[in-house]
Amino acid sequence: MSEPFGALRQQLVEAATAFAASPGAVPDILAGIVDDVDRALREELEIFPVCHHSPASALAMVRRLREKQPKVIYLELCEDLTPLLTELRNCRLPVALQAFASELDTFPKDWGPLSVIAPITEASAEYQAIAYALDTPGVELVLVDRSTDHVFQWQPRTPATPAHADSPDSDSSDEDDAGELHGDAVGIEIGDLRPRFAELETHLLHHGKVRHWSEWWDQYVEQPLVDADYATYRQVMVLIGSLFRRLAPSGAERVTVDEDRERYMWTRMREHLATSGVDRSDCLYVCGAFHAASRVEQFGTGPDAAPFDITPRTATKWLYGLIPSSHSAIEGQFGLASGSVSIAAATWAKAVSRSKLATFQLEGQRGSRKRAARPAAGAVEAGPVADQLTQFLASPPDLHGFDEEELLGWCVDIVRLARRNGYLASTADAIAVFETSILLAGMRNRARPTPYDFQDAAVTCIEKDVIPGRRDVRRLCEILLGGDRVGQVGYDALPPLARDVYDRLTPIGLDLRKSTVQRALLDLNGRPELTPCSHLLWMLRYLLPDGAVRPIMGSRRLGERSIQESWDLSIGKHQRYIIELGYEGVTVEQVVERRLRRSVYAPDATAAVALRAVEDSILFLGSRRFTDELGARAVELLAAERTVDDAPDVLRRIRRLLAHYRATEPELPAWCGSFVTAGYAHYCTLLPTAFVDDETGVRQVGAMLGFLFTMEGLALSLGCDRAQLELAVRQSHPESPAKVALLWAAHHQLGLLPLADLRARCADLLGNPLVVPTFPQYLSGFVQALEPVPKLAAFVVEVMSDAFAHLPDPVLLPWLPTLITTLRDQAGELVPVLIREAGRTFPATLPAVDAWVPPWTATTGTPTQGPGSPGIAGPRPGGAAGGPGGPAGGLVGGGGGSAGWAGRGAAGGPGDGSGPGSARWDAAMPVLRLLAEHPSTCDDVAGLVGIPGDGGDGPGWLDLDLLNTPATPGRSTVQALLESHPGAMDALEALLIAG
Amino acid sequence: MTDDMLRAPAEVKYADELDWLESIDDGPKPFSWRLSPKMVRLFVLGSERADGLDREVSQKWFGDRSFVERSIVTLASDRGLLLIGDPGTGKSWLAELLSAAISRNSTLVVQGTAGTTEDHIKYSWNVSMVIAKGQSRASMIPSPIMTAMERGVIGRFEELTRSTSDVQDALISILSEKYVSIPELDDDNIVFAQPGFSIIATANSRDRGVNDLSSALKRRFNFVRIPVVTNKRSEAEIVRFRTAELLRRHRIELDVPPNLLDILLQSFADLRTAAASATSDDEKLESALSTAEQIGVLEDAILHSTFFGDRTLRAQTLAGSLVGSLARRSPEDLAILNKYWHGVVEPRSKQDGGDWSAFLEGGREAIATLS
Repeated sequence: MSEPFGALRQQLVEAATAFAASPGAVPDILAGIVDDVDRALREELEIFPVCHHSPASALAMVRRLREKQPKVIYLELCEDLTPLLTELRNCRLPVALQAFASELDTFPKDWGPLSVIAPITEASAEYQAIAYALDTPGVELVLVDRSTDHVFQWQPRTPATPAHADSPDSDSSDEDDAGELHGDAVGIEIGDLRPRFAELETHLLHHGKVRHWSEWWDQYVEQPLVDADYATYRQVMVLIGSLFRRLAPSGAERVTVDEDRERYMWTRMREHLATSGVDRSDCLYVCGAFHAASRVEQFGTGPDAAPFDITPRTATKWLYGLIPSSHSAIEGQFGLASGSVSIAAATWAKAVSRSKLATFQLEGQRGSRKRAARPAAGAVEAGPVADQLTQFLASPPDLHGFDEEELLGWCVDIVRLARRNGYLASTADAIAVFETSILLAGMRNRARPTPYDFQDAAVTCIEKDVIPGRRDVRRLCEILLGGDRVGQVGYDALPPLARDVYDRLTPIGLDLRKSTVQRALLDLNGRPELTPCSHLLWMLRYLLPDGAVRPIMGSRRLGERSIQESWDLSIGKHQRYIIELGYEGVTVEQVVERRLRRSVYAPDATAAVALRAVEDSILFLGSRRFTDELGARAVELLAAERTVDDAPDVLRRIRRLLAHYRATEPELPAWCGSFVTAGYAHYCTLLPTAFVDDETGVRQVGAMLGFLFTMEGLALSLGCDRAQLELAVRQSHPESPAKVALLWAAHHQLGLLPLADLRARCADLLGNPLVVPTFPQYLSGFVQALEPVPKLAAFVVEVMSDAFAHLPDPVLLPWLPTLITTLRDQAGELVPVLIREAGRTFPATLPAVDAWVPPWTATTGTPTQGPGSPGIAGPRPGGAAGGPGGPAGGLVGGGGGSAGWAGRGAAGGPGDGSGPGSARWDAAMPVLRLLAEHPSTCDDVAGLVGIPGDGGDGPGWLDLDLLNTPATPGRSTVQALLESHPGAMDALEALLIAG
Repeated sequence: MTDDMLRAPAEVKYADELDWLESIDDGPKPFSWRLSPKMVRLFVLGSERADGLDREVSQKWFGDRSFVERSIVTLASDRGLLLIGDPGTGKSWLAELLSAAISRNSTLVVQGTAGTTEDHIKYSWNVSMVIAKGQSRASMIPSPIMTAMERGVIGRFEELTRSTSDVQDALISILSEKYVSIPELDDDNIVFAQPGFSIIATANSRDRGVNDLSSALKRRFNFVRIPVVTNKRSEAEIVRFRTAELLRRHRIELDVPPNLLDILLQSFADLRTAAASATSDDEKLESALSTAEQIGVLEDAILHSTFFGDRTLRAQTLAGSLVGSLARRSPEDLAILNKYWHGVVEPRSKQDGGDWSAFLEGGREAIATLS
């Protein structure tokens, strides 16, 4: 191992011996580095060391490809990504190759879904190699790195999530969407070249007098190498790779994986050489400089290389695609300084135009300007290895002269940009930035200002204030120096689902590839052909994150249909999400179905979630079978629930669904019936506990009662037993005032507590100074009771008015905010009822206020009206309080109406004006006729209470003539009944006299 | 000479070092600068082995290198330099070091207050001389800024935002036209700034709202924002460096045990975290908890130990000084310190023991005394 690096080795070893404190280590490292360079360069298969996002690498690659014209290119990239590469021609760079797996095999379940991305930028050596290989006939491109499956196979199985394994901390904290484009995928890069331990990097940064790694690399490697010849480039890159490798902590997990990768790559290359029979001198191996300095025993293509067993892939199902990437996303993922990839791209563009090189670009690719490829020169063999390192290390870099025009341009542009962003910048600032840049560069030993010096100068001269929300000058400089470029995946490279989305949205007539937000106006009446587009947009709205598609006008809910819709579409910017939907299914509908099914079978699914899924399924899919399946799952979930936290949500949703089915279907689906009966039993069971449980809120109990009362009609018709509810209410013994009020309301609804008693209880509360402070809480309970017992609305207005009239200010005022927040929470449901009721109760005009007497005081103060005064608010017909048409619509009508009828029956009596001819009598006529026509039930009842049947055409106790004769004051069927059975009245009279 | 002064300015204190740097400096010097920009940086940030100097230059200001570079470059340009930051971040110290290195004079200082007038920035008159001899250059009293202009050196303006807006605006013409005219005189009535003149102003970012700079003045300054040091290692360095200086000044020989320094730094770090999470002013200490404040606490503890103690710095004394320095409002600050002592120091003393236990005792006593 003497030449060609013997002299350099000797020189380094001597220097190390002279300066190192401890003998041995330093000379070994330095000599080892030279050996590594020597070894890599002697390998028959030409190794091309690269560094990621390095324009110098890309330029050297272009030059070398033009010279050598290899027949086979081996590339350090996951081998299973090969089919994706041809799709790059349909994309605008930067994009990322992605492998995605959600169905895992052998990997821990909590790792899923697995996602690996490999971003490709135009200013990279690997892209040049790919473009050359794909567009040159007869050239083969072989990806040799381990498969994406092996990426995870070789991950340590520690609790740490795999996503963070390769992503060091980024110092670009202000990047808002850095992680947005790549999500939490594991990033892989070709040519990762960075010191492996922090101290070395800190040391290099400190002595290089730079702030971050990208700046160090740019100043000390990139710039000197941009125009270096190929031999120098190769030797320097291997030297740096070897240096970082030898100074890496030995035995670290990462080094072990890297060595395994090298074994893998060399094994694959040897296999390919053996099977294809291609000459090694026609091949080029493109790998990171770190791997070029490899010392594994499998290194080299010689016949004596050690074998390496490649483990088979797991059965994990991998899906592949391209997703858009961006400079900032790459910087964020790989811990590069903010703006460094953009600066590299600018350096590349400048170097290409200066050197007039014809770079490679895939045929048909959009995005950058084409350069006419010069006819390729004849293949040139690499000459014998000569030492270029000594010269390179010994002399200062040959930098290009100071480009005054470029700096001037930057200074003028930054001032313009700053002004546009709200800074008070002027031409004087441009001059100051120019001057400061030059001074800073001089101070930092640079012949010409770098973009980083310019950035510092601009911050110094322009930034005076920090205003939140305004872009800072540093960010403006990044925008100026190339800005963040976001890539785009072309139509042909999209998965079927994404293509389908684009196709189906074509009728809208917008260019959806644009990354701006576009407004789409859909006149669904005028252009019915847009209805499917609207349908798809609603599905995308459900599937994609906020911002991708956003409805401005129009809504999609059960029972609603939009005539016109207006949408803000930003599909171009959110292309990645649409592509990732493609991994879940072939059509959007399929993905919606899978998502809905997944949501209801998730471990944390609840009945409310399942009902929501049912709603979504009706809205988006319209499949009766699938909806029924979700509904059945909702029943299961409800029966298994042990808490009632979701009761309000469940009630709201099931009401909406029942209303929908009643309006659109001839009969309710079976699951609806099961849900109502299961819910009835479930909430009856939990009611006593919920009343006393401190953790269950009033709102929840109110919703439970709402379910029980408003669904009662349906539940009873489906076989439920009312006794269950009555028992449950009797078992409830709440302690908190609000829940006590709720229970009173329930008692009232069940007919156990007449309104007069309820009123008396409230009067007692207000009259008792010890209880007065808690009265507002009772009121809160009554407000909540509006939902289950809507007929109490008038009473709540009355109680509230009483409270405002009688409560002392120190109690009332602190309570007002509570009342307002309670009402605001349920503004949609409770407040309209209350307002409507108040509107009916209070006078509408100012003069009427003076003469107004609250109806309740008028009622209670006029005994002549008797105990059977109809309804609650006196002036109104009693039927309005409990009749159909409450806030819950038809459903309330079912339950509330029947209960109201029963209540009125109990309250009604002689002298209440409810005899034949009155409105109530008219309302009762059909019922009486029905009873008359089917008398057997009544006969049995009459038999039971001791009225003899006449055996003829009607029940004896019911005088059918009454139905046809005008009202007879003082006589009714009840009266007739009482007359024929005086015993009960006699007993009552005796009791009263005794009392 | 330094022995005659309680606190010698930087150019006096580091005169040897500056002389030596000047002697070896072969870099290009802007205007009348005594040192080249690189040497100024070296003077402020200290030397390293890699610089290959015969003599070690100590680091005098701790912070990001780029701040110093940007400041120096600004002074070499046409604009004034405004150092802005929280109290105690070392703005004035940096300004002093820069002036000392560039012009060997850091004493041409105008202190901005609510009472500062335009006369303090430009010139005033010796009234008795004016009565005796009339207005002339001899009877004129130039301000420090005008003196700096005449000599072509750096003038300093401390707490710029504390002075009123009209006074601040007197700087506009000085920074733009670089001369001051004296209309009272018939001839020789313009003082032109000599090459090398510039202004270093400092402003407290907490006071910015008091008298914010006009846009015209802002345009004539480059702003360099100095952040609060949060890196524990740098902070330890600063405290050690400044305390050593104070000890020298007081001619006290006393060792600061490293674990007591740790306790001090940790306490400040804890209190800063608490202040950052406080939602109202009553929940945080009035003190800005800056590095300068830490130095003050340590100095107080050292002086106390020396003159009233056994010439050994103990944790109790440190705790007493900390409470004494930070408890400015009663009961708010005392309540916060009480909470800190019982919520943080007590568990820590149980866990770590050692000096923390003594620190706990000392703090309790001090709080009890003040309560």
